[in-house]
Amino acid sequence: MRIRVDTELCQGHGRCYMLAPDLFDADGDGYCEPTNERAVPTELADQARRASMNCPEDAIILTEET
Amino acid sequence: MTDTAPHSHYTLERPEEAEDPQTIYRELRDNAPVARLAGRATSHTLTISRHEDVVSALRTPEVFSSDSSAVEIGNTRPLVPLQVDPPHHSKHRKALDPLFAPRQMAKYEPRVRELIRELIDAVVEQGHCNFHEAVAEPLPSTIFLELLGLPVSRVHEFVALKDGIIRPPAGSMEERFQKVRATGQKIYAVLEEVVDARMAERQDDFLSTIIDAEVDGQPLTRDDVVDIGYLFFLAGLDTVSASLDCMMAFLAQNPDHRQRLVDDPAIIPHAIEEMLRYETPVPTVPRITASDTEVSGCPMSAGTPITVLLGSANTDERVWDRPDEVDFDRESNRHLAFGGGVHRCLGSHLARMELRVALEEWHARVPDYRLAEGLELKYSPGIRQVDNLELVW
Repeated sequence: MRIRVDTELCQGHGRCYMLAPDLFDADGDGYCEPTNERAVPTELADQARRASMNCPEDAIILTEET
Repeated sequence: MTDTAPHSHYTLERPEEAEDPQTIYRELRDNAPVARLAGRATSHTLTISRHEDVVSALRTPEVFSSDSSAVEIGNTRPLVPLQVDPPHHSKHRKALDPLFAPRQMAKYEPRVRELIRELIDAVVEQGHCNFHEAVAEPLPSTIFLELLGLPVSRVHEFVALKDGIIRPPAGSMEERFQKVRATGQKIYAVLEEVVDARMAERQDDFLSTIIDAEVDGQPLTRDDVVDIGYLFFLAGLDTVSASLDCMMAFLAQNPDHRQRLVDDPAIIPHAIEEMLRYETPVPTVPRITASDTEVSGCPMSAGTPITVLLGSANTDERVWDRPDEVDFDRESNRHLAFGGGVHRCLGSHLARMELRVALEEWHARVPDYRLAEGLELKYSPGIRQVDNLELVW
């Protein structure tokens, strides 16, 4: 599984760093970081799904690796 | 262009409608997703209620503009950055975001905790209180005045000014507008006095920080600082109070939910998000169409005032599983209680911190409480305050 954040869509709701603290943190403006595409460690797959499912702006994009 | 929006007998302005807005939201979504509501202030306005349409409006500020206010809130210049569209908006927003970022808010948490403890100390032994007056109003307004740099000794005056804008006394629409505009002038006078004092001598407060902020390498003008202050004044003195009212009113009537907060305080942040979703204490945001457009098959001409019903989007069965059930364990909660898109609530991280600390401290000290016998809660239309929230324990 890979994850990235569409920074055009992210508005800093902060749901991701609340629900997936091992994947996201708040930057100095309250937006999430990091946003670049990266692999999700298997043990954090649930956090990644929760972050994506709870983003009000649909800014968190998950892709399942085949 | 003639719009085809059906008329609705609802106004969303009557106190009796504020008691159970979720039922009205559902009827609007099902029967009139773009509606022309009855009532004096809304007769030219179209109200949109489905989640899909609400999200679309929030995410397209070039069509659904915030540039011109469709509501009378007493200001004579646009509020910054709320009533400013991109690209200008984003420059001001970027200058203000760091003030309200989570790591900044964490610094104020000890002060919030100290104040809520004092407020609870004052009522805990008497076994009852009007929660709105004892806690929900003084907590956020005191903290906000301290942060902004306005004199806390004048809190009652400022709360009355804010209420004069948000809940103007009954009367004809013209009388109400006159009162709101007169109150707006008083708010400008207060802000100008304090901004001038800070421009002469900075202190450790938000107004001083904003005075020193730069947009495009230029300092903000005195008017810019006052216009930011006006927005903060209305937003900071009201919304967290109303949110605390809504949450405590819900918990007082739902002992199983209340007991979970007592037994497992770690769930409080999730409970807050879920109660924000269901209650949506700030249920609407205004927009105005910048061009001809169409929503749910209904054509709209440019210049149409729009009421975006966040509260309805947050309970739309088209996207939510069991929308009328308050479920602290909800797996997916993409609520729009803080709005969405570029104008998403600037103060949301302050609000969340205050709500969390307040619920943590209250439930540690007063775990078992209920509404006073025979109490009929009075929710205000618009921003959902409950000023008769009599609790007993």
